[in-house]
Amino acid sequence: MVTKILVAGAALVLVFLLTAAPFYSAVVIDIDKPSGRVVPIAIAPLKNLGSGEDRRGVSDGVADAIANDMKLSGWFRVLDRSAYIEGPQSGITSDSFDFKNWSTIGAESLVKGGFTVQGDDLTVELRLFDVYQAKLLVGKKYTGKVRDFRRMAHRFADEIINQFTGTPGPFNTRIAYVSKSGGGLKEVYFSNLDGTEKFQVTTNKSINLSPAWSPDGRTLLYTSFREGRRSLFLYDLSTARETRVADQAGSSIGGRWSPDGQHIAVSFERAGNTDVYILDRTGKNLRRMTEDRGIDVSPSWSPDGNRLAFVSNRSGSPHIYLMDVATGNVRRLTFSGSYNTSPDWSPKGDKIAYTGRVSGRFQIFTIAAQGGDAHQITSGGGDNEDPSWAPDGRFIAFSSNRGGGYHLYMMRENGENQQRLTASGGDDSNPSWSSRLE
Amino acid sequence: MGKLNVFWYALIVFAAVSLAGCPKSNPNPAGDGTAAGEKGKTPPNQGLSRDQSKSSDLGTGKGSLESAGKGDSTATPAGSPLQEVYFAFDSFDLTNDARATLKKNADWLKSNGSARVEIEGHCDDRGTNEYNLALGAKRAQAAKDYLVSLGIPAERLSTISYGEELPVCREQNEDCWQKNRRDRFVISSGRAPS
Repeated sequence: MVTKILVAGAALVLVFLLTAAPFYSAVVIDIDKPSGRVVPIAIAPLKNLGSGEDRRGVSDGVADAIANDMKLSGWFRVLDRSAYIEGPQSGITSDSFDFKNWSTIGAESLVKGGFTVQGDDLTVELRLFDVYQAKLLVGKKYTGKVRDFRRMAHRFADEIINQFTGTPGPFNTRIAYVSKSGGGLKEVYFSNLDGTEKFQVTTNKSINLSPAWSPDGRTLLYTSFREGRRSLFLYDLSTARETRVADQAGSSIGGRWSPDGQHIAVSFERAGNTDVYILDRTGKNLRRMTEDRGIDVSPSWSPDGNRLAFVSNRSGSPHIYLMDVATGNVRRLTFSGSYNTSPDWSPKGDKIAYTGRVSGRFQIFTIAAQGGDAHQITSGGGDNEDPSWAPDGRFIAFSSNRGGGYHLYMMRENGENQQRLTASGGDDSNPSWSSRLE
Repeated sequence: MGKLNVFWYALIVFAAVSLAGCPKSNPNPAGDGTAAGEKGKTPPNQGLSRDQSKSSDLGTGKGSLESAGKGDSTATPAGSPLQEVYFAFDSFDLTNDARATLKKNADWLKSNGSARVEIEGHCDDRGTNEYNLALGAKRAQAAKDYLVSLGIPAERLSTISYGEELPVCREQNEDCWQKNRRDRFVISSGRAPS
């Protein structure tokens, strides 16, 4: 299974751009404007360009994956396939079909494509059209294995978002999380954002917590009680091997890679006291970053690797603090509320998301890294916790028990368009959103 | 030998408690058994011989993680000589009630000098997992420090935090949350009579 995923990533090759003409889009999404208009988009099942049967469901599978990503982004309204006039075997280049078939049903944007399967090999071509201008905006061709078809779809979804917003989307990524397996035991999993290609990382029938991706997406850190006491472990996706990272300073809590992949920030607890440490990537050369008698926990790196956001109750209750890694200088960031934990620093560097207690419930907040007002971005019944930023800095994954039991959700960074990601029988929590996959 | 006598006593107590709910069955049906006492009274030695194999169930050994793995409750078993102490929200301060319980626990530990204890720190499920692991550690350490101050050697006491991971109940109300904000005392060894 692991080889499958590894080879899927490794075999994927982007071949060439199918348009030479400069593109321009008649529709622009202003991402800074709240509740901006939604673009109606049609996504047609792919045309089979080869002679074989579509045994793996590539035609619908690619279209479904792109449609789901568009829906999750909140910037598009995907038109129902049952309304499409053309069938999948109609033309897929601008000169081979009638754009009126799409403007009639209300589409402003259109995705069409084709695929060829030869044995285990798959080639997919995808094109994004502006329906009103009857113009090709962008086309891509992907080659890989048949089992890579979803990865290709997510790449193109990110490309569509790039065309409309100027920044690639966050869907060619994975989300790692923790799922309850009964009796309080928890195992680490990861999957695509849409829940497909789910993979169970730990199978040790213990309590496994706080998964965190490496910047290259090849390894996962997590904290485990598998040996009785808590230790920090590393899972390598390419070898399917787990190694213990370090526990010489006590029982570990959480662990996060620095953006350059050279260091791990982690908390160690010893004799009741929890402090923040930095280790090098081999788990050695411990540097203790906090020394007060309070709780100091949950470090999160700034994208330039120069600072850490972390939780400390040195003021009497937990708040978010920022520390300069080189000098050790600490500045308090949150002042509102009396219980603020689980910070995550946006990959754009401008904001920190965290969990704050308000009116007895837990909500997600964001605050500017230089300090200022706290913005509450979730509300309503239930608890909302553990924010994790998407690599484009525009979306946040989090866990919520609003539906009875915890599940993963994602939303825009201003709290709009909250949508559930997981719907398993157990509780899902502690999300970690990976960087863009290669 | 003083230690052994106390252990017999503990087994008797456990036997009496466990037999209380059992139908009476006399291993000396003729009624002339040497160990038989007054009619209707459970002879102490009889209880001992029957329950010797159960000595490890005296609230010993199985901590919360092991219990969870077997699908069992993570509450302190009934009949355990060491009782739990409870805490206020986001606090690891020992209340007067907590101190009183810890004094009783210390008394038992002094009378059972071979017993070692793992103090588990727990939290209710509000708040985030990582902070609660740290808070549970503070709670366990607070109990340990107090027991040490009462004369229990530190080497007999170990601590571990499970944060919010192994609650005894899951209802979303203060009644349940209060039960989860606790230290649990798991006896990890006690010499069985040879």
